[in-house]
Amino acid sequence: MALLPCGVHFRTYRGDRAYLHTKTQWACFIAFMILLFLLPGLISIQYISMITVTSIMIIAVVGLQITAGYAGQVNLGQSAFMGMGAFVAASMAVNFNLPFWITIPAGGLGGAIFGSLFGIPALRIKGFYLSLTTIAAQIIFPVLIMALPDKWCGGAIGLQIDPARLGGLVFNTDKSIYYLSMVVTIIMVYFAFNLVRTRVGRAFVAVRDNDIAAEIMGVNLFAYKTLSFFVGAFYAGVAGGLWAYFLRYVGADQFTLYYSIWFVGMLIVGGLGSILGAIFGTIFLRALQEFITYLGPLLVNIFPNIGGGAQVWYAGMNILLGGIIILFLIYEPRGLAHRWNLIKTNYRVWPFPYL
Amino acid sequence: MIDLIQYTVDGALRGMLYALVAMGFIVIFRAGRILNFAQGEVVAVGGFLIYTFVSVPFLPGLINSVLGPVPAWLSICISLLVALLFVILLGLLVERIIFRPLIGQPIFTIVMATIGLMILLQGLMIAVWGGEDRPFPYLFPVGAVRMGPFTFSRAIFWGAIISIGVFGALSYLFERTRWGLKLTAVAEDHAVSQSMGISVKRSIATAWVIGCLLSAWGAVVFLNGQTLTFVAGSIGMIALPCALLAGLESIWGAPIAGVIVGVGESLAAAYLDEYTEGAMSEAFPYLLMIVILLIRPQGLFGWKIIERV
Repeated sequence: MALLPCGVHFRTYRGDRAYLHTKTQWACFIAFMILLFLLPGLISIQYISMITVTSIMIIAVVGLQITAGYAGQVNLGQSAFMGMGAFVAASMAVNFNLPFWITIPAGGLGGAIFGSLFGIPALRIKGFYLSLTTIAAQIIFPVLIMALPDKWCGGAIGLQIDPARLGGLVFNTDKSIYYLSMVVTIIMVYFAFNLVRTRVGRAFVAVRDNDIAAEIMGVNLFAYKTLSFFVGAFYAGVAGGLWAYFLRYVGADQFTLYYSIWFVGMLIVGGLGSILGAIFGTIFLRALQEFITYLGPLLVNIFPNIGGGAQVWYAGMNILLGGIIILFLIYEPRGLAHRWNLIKTNYRVWPFPYL
Repeated sequence: MIDLIQYTVDGALRGMLYALVAMGFIVIFRAGRILNFAQGEVVAVGGFLIYTFVSVPFLPGLINSVLGPVPAWLSICISLLVALLFVILLGLLVERIIFRPLIGQPIFTIVMATIGLMILLQGLMIAVWGGEDRPFPYLFPVGAVRMGPFTFSRAIFWGAIISIGVFGALSYLFERTRWGLKLTAVAEDHAVSQSMGISVKRSIATAWVIGCLLSAWGAVVFLNGQTLTFVAGSIGMIALPCALLAGLESIWGAPIAGVIVGVGESLAAAYLDEYTEGAMSEAFPYLLMIVILLIRPQGLFGWKIIERV
C-alpha cells in the first residue's frame, strides 16, 4: 500500500492490514455497494441478466486467477470444473431436494475435487505439458457426464432444476437471481482478496515465481500446487452451481474448452496476479461480447457470404477474442489492473507527473 | 483375428496421420520453443487455401489463359504451388506479427498467444470462407489398396508412406546439420541463443514456415476428397496428445507415438465403445497421455531438462 495519500499513518498492525484505509475509500466502497443493491431498479431488466452472467463469470475467473495468476499453474479446464460444480449442484437439488445453500457449496466441493484430480499431475508436469493435462479435463468431462447414470447427471438430455428457495423467497425472476448471485460473488471475491494475503497466498506466489526455490524454502510443492487447483476449482464449482440456478438447466455442452479459453482471455485482459484485474477483465470482455451480439445484424450486412446470424456472431466473437488476447499479450501484458494502478497513482500525485 | 489385424493396421495408418500433424507441433517447438495450439487451425487454413486455388475455377482458368491448354495434372501442380506460397506467407506473417514481439516471454504468454491465434484463425476462416461444407479436391486417386484380406484407404496409405520420408528428411535436418543445431539451440533458450549470435527471429520464422508446410501436406492427406469446413481444425486437438506423448523435442518420437495413439484409439473404438457409448475412443489419447506423462514428464522421447534455481 505504497500508494496512500499524505498523512495516513497507522498505530496498530490491524489498521495497517486493512484493505480500506481512508474515509474516501470507505465512502466509495459503500456507495458502490449501495449502487449494486439499487441497480435492478435503475436499469432495464434485460441488462440485469447480463450483469448476473457477468457476476457468475467473475467468480470463475477469480478462481482461475488464484490457480493461474497467483500459483502460476496454467489451467485451461476451468469451464469443465465449473460444469462439474453445476452438475453436482443440480444433481443434489433434483435427487435429494436439498436447498441451494447446501447444493451450491457442494457444487463447489465437487468442482474442487474434480479440479484437484487434474492438478495432482502439476507436481511432475510443468508448463506446456501441464496446459495439456488441464485440456484433458475438458475433453474427459463430457465423456464422464455421458458415462455416469442418467439419474445422476441426465446423460445427453441434461438436468432441469427448480428455482432456488429460501424460506418463502423464490429466486425465479431475473431480479431475485441477480441478488442471489451478487451476494455469492461478493462473498467469494472477499475471500479471494484476503486469501492471497495470507500465508497460503504468499506460498502460491513463491511457487509461481520459482517452484524449486520455493521448495527449498520449505513450501510443500505437492500440497500447495494441489491446493491451488482445489481453491481455483472450488470457485469454478460455486460459479457452476449459481449457473445451474440461473439457467435452471445444465447440459454438458454448456461447458466447453471454448469457455475455458474465454476465462483465460478475461484473465489476460485483466492482468495476471491481481484479483481486481480478474474482475476488470471479465467485465471488459463481457461488455465486448454483448457489443458484438448487438452488432450482429450489422455484420451480416457487411459480410453477406458468411451465412446465418449465429455464424456471424461466432466469427465476430472469435476474431474479437483471439485478437484481444494477442493484442494484450503484446502491448499490455500486465493487463487492465496495471492501467488502473497507473490511473490511481496519477490521481494521487497530481499535479506532479510522478512521486 | 483378421478383424484385429485390420483394426490395428487401420489404426496405425491413422496414427501416421496424427503423427504428421503432431510433427507440426514438434517442428515449431524444436525450432522456436513455441507449443502451437493453433496447429489444427493451420491445417484447416492450409486446406482452405488449397481448395481456393485448386477447386475454385479462377486460378486454373488463369493458368489456361496464360499458358494455353495444359494437362490437368500440371494445372493442379501449379495451383498447389501457389497455395503453398500462400501457406508460407501465412507462416511468415504469424512470426512477424505475433511471435517476434514475444521472444523471450514466459511459457504462459506463449501458450496463450497460440491459443489466441487458434481462436482468431477460426473466426477469420468463417469470415473469409463462410461456414458451409465444401468438397476438398481429390489430390490422391480414390479407391482402396488391397493386400491379401486387408483393404486400406489409398490416400491414407500413400500419405503414411510419403510422411515417413518427410520425417526422415526432418530428422536429418534437425540432427545432422548445422542449421538444425541452430534451430535446436533456440528451442532450448531464446536469450542464450541470441547472445551466441543465432537469429531467434529467423529461427522462429523457419519453424513456422516448415510447420505450415507440414500442415498443408497434412491437409492434403487428411481431407483428400472429403468435405471441408472450419471444423477440420479439431484434428489438432487429437494430434496434440501424440506430440506430448512423443515428447516435444523428438522428431522420431512422433510417428511412434502416433502409431500408439492410432492403434489404441482404433482398438478402443472397435472393442470398448459398445460398452461406453462411443466415449472411450475420444478420451483414450488424453488418458494415455496423462498416464505416460505422470511416469515420464518429458514424454516418451523428450529431453530431460535439468532445472536450476
